[in-house]
Amino acid sequence: MTRRTEQELLLRRLWRERLLRGEIDRRTFLTNSLVAGLGMAGVGVAAKYGIGSALAQDRPLTPTYYQWIVDLHPSIPQVNAQFPGINAQIAPVEGFGIERFVAEAKNGESTWDVYVGQTPFVEMSAMIAADVIEPWDPYIPKDVLDDMIPSIRAENTIDGKLYGWPFLLDVIGMGWHSGITNKAGLPDTPPATWDEYLANAKAVVDSGAAPFGATFDAHGWRSLAPMTHSLDPNVYTADGLFDFTSDQAIEALMLMKKIMALSHPDILLAGASDGGVNGTPDEVAFAAQRVGYYTKYFNAPLRMAQYWDDPGELHLAPQPKFTGGAGSTVFWTTGCALFKHGKNKEKVAEYIRALTYDPQIWQDSIAGTATGHPGQLPPYKSIYAAWDASPPDWMPPFVGLVRSQLDQARAITNHIFGLQQFVIGQPYWETYLKGEEPDPRAAMQKVVEAVQAEIKRG
Amino acid sequence: MAQALTSRWPRARDGISPWLFLVPAVAFFVGYQVYPIFRVVWISFTDYQFLTNEPARWVGLDNYAVALNDPLMWVSLWRAFLFTMMFLPGTIILPLLLAILIDRVTSPRLATVYRVILLIPAVIPSTLVFVLWKWMYNYQVGPINHILVEVLGLFTVHNAPQWLGGTSLTLPSIAIMEIWWGLGYHTIFFLAGLAAIPKELPEAARLDGANEWQIFWHVTRHGLQPIMMILIVLRFGTSMAVIDEYLIFGGFNRDSPTYTWTIYMYDQAFKLGMWRQGFAAAIGMIGAVVMMFFVAILLYIFRRRG
Amino acid sequence: MARAAQLEELGTAPPLSAGEWLRLNRAVVIRHAVINLFMVIILLPLAWVLLMSVKSLPDAMRGNLWPRRFDFTHYGFVFTKIETLPINLFNSIYVTAATVLITTICAVLAGYALVHLRPRGGPFVVAMLLASLYFPTRVVSIISIYEIQSFLGLINSTSGLILPYITLNLAISVLIMRSVFQLIPHELMEAAKIDGAGPWRTLWLVGLPMARNGLVVVFIVNFVTAWGEFLLCTTLTNDQTARTMPVVLAGAQGGLGQWAWPRLAAVYVIVVTPGIIAFTFAQKLFFKGLAEGVVKA
Repeated sequence: MTRRTEQELLLRRLWRERLLRGEIDRRTFLTNSLVAGLGMAGVGVAAKYGIGSALAQDRPLTPTYYQWIVDLHPSIPQVNAQFPGINAQIAPVEGFGIERFVAEAKNGESTWDVYVGQTPFVEMSAMIAADVIEPWDPYIPKDVLDDMIPSIRAENTIDGKLYGWPFLLDVIGMGWHSGITNKAGLPDTPPATWDEYLANAKAVVDSGAAPFGATFDAHGWRSLAPMTHSLDPNVYTADGLFDFTSDQAIEALMLMKKIMALSHPDILLAGASDGGVNGTPDEVAFAAQRVGYYTKYFNAPLRMAQYWDDPGELHLAPQPKFTGGAGSTVFWTTGCALFKHGKNKEKVAEYIRALTYDPQIWQDSIAGTATGHPGQLPPYKSIYAAWDASPPDWMPPFVGLVRSQLDQARAITNHIFGLQQFVIGQPYWETYLKGEEPDPRAAMQKVVEAVQAEIKRG
Repeated sequence: MAQALTSRWPRARDGISPWLFLVPAVAFFVGYQVYPIFRVVWISFTDYQFLTNEPARWVGLDNYAVALNDPLMWVSLWRAFLFTMMFLPGTIILPLLLAILIDRVTSPRLATVYRVILLIPAVIPSTLVFVLWKWMYNYQVGPINHILVEVLGLFTVHNAPQWLGGTSLTLPSIAIMEIWWGLGYHTIFFLAGLAAIPKELPEAARLDGANEWQIFWHVTRHGLQPIMMILIVLRFGTSMAVIDEYLIFGGFNRDSPTYTWTIYMYDQAFKLGMWRQGFAAAIGMIGAVVMMFFVAILLYIFRRRG
Repeated sequence: MARAAQLEELGTAPPLSAGEWLRLNRAVVIRHAVINLFMVIILLPLAWVLLMSVKSLPDAMRGNLWPRRFDFTHYGFVFTKIETLPINLFNSIYVTAATVLITTICAVLAGYALVHLRPRGGPFVVAMLLASLYFPTRVVSIISIYEIQSFLGLINSTSGLILPYITLNLAISVLIMRSVFQLIPHELMEAAKIDGAGPWRTLWLVGLPMARNGLVVVFIVNFVTAWGEFLLCTTLTNDQTARTMPVVLAGAQGGLGQWAWPRLAAVYVIVVTPGIIAFTFAQKLFFKGLAEGVVKA
């Protein structure tokens, strides 16, 4: 409420200045002030004289966040407090939609200065194509740029320009419920290979410790791609698409089918929020303590373990690898996009730097707070180096494991179909998983055809 | 004021006075409905892509030709029709039955209690209704499967019904959810309709020896005609064009029965590639024409009997 | 029949043997049994939510209906986590009330005019309204409406939401009022005219009292849509304080940050309860209107 009043005051001051300078007459001044005070009272007048443009000239620093980031990271307001007058908002991007940003860019304007919530392979290509965002290069300090983990910097770079300032790192790894696995007589050491993983999962089911042995998230970028990367991360075509018909991808698909035999029957079903993408069945099964092993980004097992009788029974480790495989995985960052038509660009860079280096945010993320346990990691080398030098007492062991795996991990290549290729393809590779198509290669061939058909349309 | 208007009355039939009454409605309608409609019609004849700044080019009927030759177009229309067939009868007949029963409750206190309960689902915003039923239908921990598996022992954790998320049960499950949501609120519609029927009419028929069914068919049904027609026409439209429920419970998996023409349109307009809104608009227009065809039939049926 | 009614009124068993009483009142008993079955179907899922809101986190993720441990802290969590909830609730009430009121006025005027004043072009207006129900404006409507609101300077204005909200159900509201006015005999209106009443007076004194039933329907249709609207509000507003409740709630349940289930259930109870209380009072007015609205002529 206060925030809005401030905005109105700001507007009024602006118009008073214009009146004194003789740019507008007294009548316009009065009507404009009325509009600012009464919202819709002077609709037409506002249109004529442009509330939006007046605001943009001297508006405060205006970041906008994807809701979940604010929910998961309760220390963000403390960073905001270092920037007096900041107007932090929640972005209208429910279900990962960027319509509003694009519509504003088409009018050559932007309500906000920076969007915190962009995932490169999901929407960065679209944001660039629609001319919504611009590169950070002129504004980001060189020491920050050099501090980024190289694979993360590459993920956020297109044509040599940095379009995303990375913030929260998610890595696909493994979690297990030691209450269940111990009951099945399994040790607390992580299975290193997929064969061990499958054997352990089978032991869980056979011993009756839990009804299901292992689970994964059926969305391709969370299971097919990371499992493929664990064999070999170089599975992208020259066009930048995932190579579905590569031997590595086929191998991963066959692995998925083996895991499914030890998993809950609803594993392939759509989730219950964000267009089926979140609130997925694997999460519920893990939260309900009905499954022993789980591969997904760490945030998922951490968030689900809060429902357990003893959340301390959660253990985390890197994703298993194929015997003789590269042992890589998939990572992505959720970061900040600089609006081309935004304002305060130098100030924004200052703000994002403070945000992404804030020690409290990282401690909360890794050690957890009363309200959440995101388990998301920082994108900078210097932060890990400082932790290595003097390990904080709250530091769990999985962070070091993940950091070391990050040198092999690879992001999904940026492409306008980066995310959509997996959405389009899922029903086709699932024909193999469901047993409707006995040949995995034939199923994957259909995936490629479907993706190509959609690309050709454009 | 009244006198000034009275003097206009004789000319009302062919004058502008009636339009004074229509102005508020038409103004809003033109501003926020006609403009988007014209826009969608125009876009459907172009190659407009939302993510580019290139101007849209006129491509005539190309989008329509592509869409009509696309098997997904027809499959997705058929799915929407299937859902409508599951949803529409239940959402008309059950509330009608309930309304007739409640209308006869003579105790004012009981009638009040019933009416309040009926309206409870109507005050729940759609997002919360979806949350509720996603809990109800949950495979692992939802109360429905808990009762089926743990209490009644009809299924095991390996073969319990998979309600939501793109199975063959998903459309019926959503239909049940929607019928639950609309049950009370449609009953109120019918109660309002029943209240408009003079009580003497069914009484007179009863004295003439008509049985309950005859009274319903000859007296009640006739009185409920306008409400019924509005409900059927309205609900036919909403059920053919359901979108939020499908987005939430089915996602964008093209094999899912929830991937109907509306999702196909949304997918093309806001998800795929450069957001081909020209093509998406053509998909939508085809869906609209199909719907209007059926509505014309519905209206024709009602006209004849009424 | 009269006796049965009397029984209902008293709600107590008369000094008859149980079997005889049942035989006499079989129709009433069956009727109430069926009604109550429906009531239970409506209420049971909501009772489950109420229970969910006081379950401990581990119990929320078990199918078992009754929790092993209760946890009443979730309500406190909601209020500290969504500080703006009272404001959002107020926004919802304000926008919904204004929308319902304005739409109803527009619909009554238009419905009356279309039936009893028979303007030139009336059938065309009706056809357009009907057709508009089926146009796939979803593809572009959000963008078109964004452009309109942006042009009018109404982005991020809670009051500004009222304009597009009015249109959401305008067509169907006009059609409802039209069909209600069609039920009123034209002769009645003619009689008022002969008595010297103008069209406004005729509407106010003769038409409106007879159209009360339709008003209830229009009220509810508009209430339900405006109260639950999500997409427009999330797109057209920026500040949490300018948003309505459904948008703020959706943030709690969607995305990676989705809240623990019992906390979401607590939000549910907090949001639905005022609505139920409001309707308990409002429905009295509604149905009083209904009862008196029966043709007096």
